Amino acid sequence: MFVKGVGMTKFGFQEESSRNTIYESVMEALNDAKMSMREIDAVVVSSIEIMSNGERQKHSASMISSLLQIKAPILDVPAGCAGGGTALWTAIKLLKNSSHKNILVIGFDKIVATTTKIITEEILRGGERIYEQAEGMIFPAQNALVAQQYMLKYGATSDDFALVAYKNHQNAFLNPKARFYRKKITMEEIKNSTVVASPLRLFDCSISCNGASSLILSKEPSDIEIIGSAEISDCLSPFEREEMTSLEATKKAAELAYKEADVTPSQIDIAEIHDAFTPLEIISYEDLGFCSPGEGKELIRNGTTKIDGKLPVNTSGGLKAKGHPISPTGIAQVYEIVKQMRGQAGARQIKTPRIGLAHNLGGAGSVATVHILKNLN
Amino acid sequence: MIIRWICEKCSKKWIYPIEKCIYCKGPVTKQKGTQMKVIGFTKVTIPSPTHPIIPYNILLLQDEFGNRLPKKTMKDYKIGDVYTEKKSESDDAVAIIKVKYDIFEAIKDALGLLKDVKFDSEEKILIKPSIIAAAYPYQAVNVNPDMLDALIAVLFEYGIKKENVIVAEQALIGSSAADAASKSGALEVCKKRGVAFADISKGPFEKVECDGYEFSIYKEALHRKIINVPIMKTNFQLGISGALENLTRLVDEKTQRDMYYKGLGNILPKLVKALPDVFTIADATNGMQGLGPLASGEPAFLNLIFAGRNAAALDSIFCEISMIKIPPYVKAAGSGINPKKIEVVGNEIDALKNPIKPANPEETPHSDIKVVDYGACPACLNLMYNLTSKMIGLRGSELYVLIGSQFDGKVLEGGERIVAIGDCAIKKMEELKINTIAKIPENLDMVEQIVLMKKLLTTEGTPKITSVDKVKSKMTKLLSRAVR
Repeated sequence: MFVKGVGMTKFGFQEESSRNTIYESVMEALNDAKMSMREIDAVVVSSIEIMSNGERQKHSASMISSLLQIKAPILDVPAGCAGGGTALWTAIKLLKNSSHKNILVIGFDKIVATTTKIITEEILRGGERIYEQAEGMIFPAQNALVAQQYMLKYGATSDDFALVAYKNHQNAFLNPKARFYRKKITMEEIKNSTVVASPLRLFDCSISCNGASSLILSKEPSDIEIIGSAEISDCLSPFEREEMTSLEATKKAAELAYKEADVTPSQIDIAEIHDAFTPLEIISYEDLGFCSPGEGKELIRNGTTKIDGKLPVNTSGGLKAKGHPISPTGIAQVYEIVKQMRGQAGARQIKTPRIGLAHNLGGAGSVATVHILKNLN
Repeated sequence: MIIRWICEKCSKKWIYPIEKCIYCKGPVTKQKGTQMKVIGFTKVTIPSPTHPIIPYNILLLQDEFGNRLPKKTMKDYKIGDVYTEKKSESDDAVAIIKVKYDIFEAIKDALGLLKDVKFDSEEKILIKPSIIAAAYPYQAVNVNPDMLDALIAVLFEYGIKKENVIVAEQALIGSSAADAASKSGALEVCKKRGVAFADISKGPFEKVECDGYEFSIYKEALHRKIINVPIMKTNFQLGISGALENLTRLVDEKTQRDMYYKGLGNILPKLVKALPDVFTIADATNGMQGLGPLASGEPAFLNLIFAGRNAAALDSIFCEISMIKIPPYVKAAGSGINPKKIEVVGNEIDALKNPIKPANPEETPHSDIKVVDYGACPACLNLMYNLTSKMIGLRGSELYVLIGSQFDGKVLEGGERIVAIGDCAIKKMEELKINTIAKIPENLDMVEQIVLMKKLLTTEGTPKITSVDKVKSKMTKLLSRAVR
């Protein structure tokens, strides 16, 4: 399966309606692919259909039909923060098993449109109802408990998490589509930011945003091929799992994707990793096979994953600093890899990568998708 | 306690009750961990609507089987600390338990945390659930039938014989107890468990005098241990209905009306004293918020149960955690009890605080109709609720319905478009010689009541009922009967 075109809005606090952000990202993807809407045979869309913003719009698939004036199969596949990755995985499966030639994949959400308290509550609904929601387990708290277990087991420190935040903010500084574009964040600001859920500070948490992202997937060859794709769901709560310091869903999805792509972790030249919270990036280094369990902290300490390192991770700024509008995230990760592969990443361009990996998570590891892309040029 | 449901054959594990293993079809049993240690914690500093008090801690507890559980607390713990639930020391203590998918275990937990809770296997029990009107369980008007079922199962586990247990209740005056018990699911539970359901309104009653007031109390209640099982709800008239309010339906209709006439705050403390042995296990597995206590209220999804010997203390604690004002009648019944000093076990008040929607005392199911309540009895309240509900869909000018009897002649001053509903208000108006406003009495046929109310709502100016209206209403009634 091939990526014909990609598009995304800037991730930020824009007031624009979802209709406008979707339209903008689809238009960019169509222009990028040099295609018309007429060539699209089906659409796979993902949104968490948030109810606390002014749009209060459910039934996204038909809304997309109205907006894009398309009468075709449109599937809505919400999967929390992994919505984008899951939509892409679904589109790949659909394309492989149908007569369709081109599928448009869309992720959109408008999160920042009410008070932080209400947004926090809405996102809390993604946790387990009785054991987590009732205990005040907001998402930062859920990840804080995971981070603490990881620190206790492997000796990682808050300074390691700060290094992740600093690296991703430096990358976002160079990305015009990032929420923190041209916004300088110092290590002092990161280390002295408010504790949100100990040990996690404000700068350990990704920034909620509004936005949309799109991708056109095709059977017709292009310069970028998706050579591996996997999605795995795990149980809802980390406390329920045998192991809290690694994510089984990521490990299994990575294993399947590497196998399908016939590549090994050492062949990955660039990765976009789901850093909704900074410890997740370090844990994911391990789960994706870039290092052994407990060694993730070394990759951030020795600069391996910096933009000029051996394995650049989150050159876009990641969820941390590019922003995290929930469902668009997974497609935006692929957007970054495509731009890097085509040499279109501007100031943050790395040495043209040949193999890239996008890793998208939903919940605290409840869903994971891994996509492996190959640069055919 | 941490509970997991484990397949005996293949050891698959669930955090929910599962009847049979979906893989090997093997039987599933509960694994209960009681030795809990703190293996992690986080201090949260961001408030959310359902967790407004910050900072709070979430502990990660692990039991002897390696099962884990998050637990919210306002207290600080260290990794390695042993976590135990403290038992109560005072008689007025209230236990609050979060239901983790298992009401049976939650009830047992609550009873286990309270001092000296014992049941004699020969004991005769009267379970007094709150079942006031015909409504489905999801509407949270009546006690959750699963709660009733779990409670009976717990009593059986204590060795109580099924022939020694009765479930007794009467619906709001004007509603049928049989209909209410049937639609609420309570009757089915009684049948399943083999215990009798009794309609209290049918009596017999016994006269009991307490502090100068004579009650007609349901005879069985005087000779059995009462397990008071209210559903915790907001109530537009009373603020809340809970443990205390549920006891008011242990007396006959006449006493009920008189209690409201004389003010619940005055009479309830005497009723509590007059009843011999009451223990409350309150249902907030769902609970109600907003325009309770009937079907215009909304389910509150609280997922809690409360237990204690002191009904006023229990109601006060419910108000504290729901962040609503403690109603005067609860304060009166709990004279001397400072809610801040009530011993609470199982969970901490601040960790449970979650604001629910209070009931607006003026609101009715119809947006154009406001209620002016002067201590209406349950009959007038029920009539007002049913009548205003039937007006939904009709537009009219703002109308005030006057219910209750604790008013004087000044009530009408400056007021236009007032309708007196129910016998309490009409009787009082006769006493005051006020004949100037429209009245809808309790004993009128429902069809006639609806016709008259429609006319009053949709007519501009001062609402009046003329002889023509009365004839029209009677004809409508006859016509509706003929059609039926």
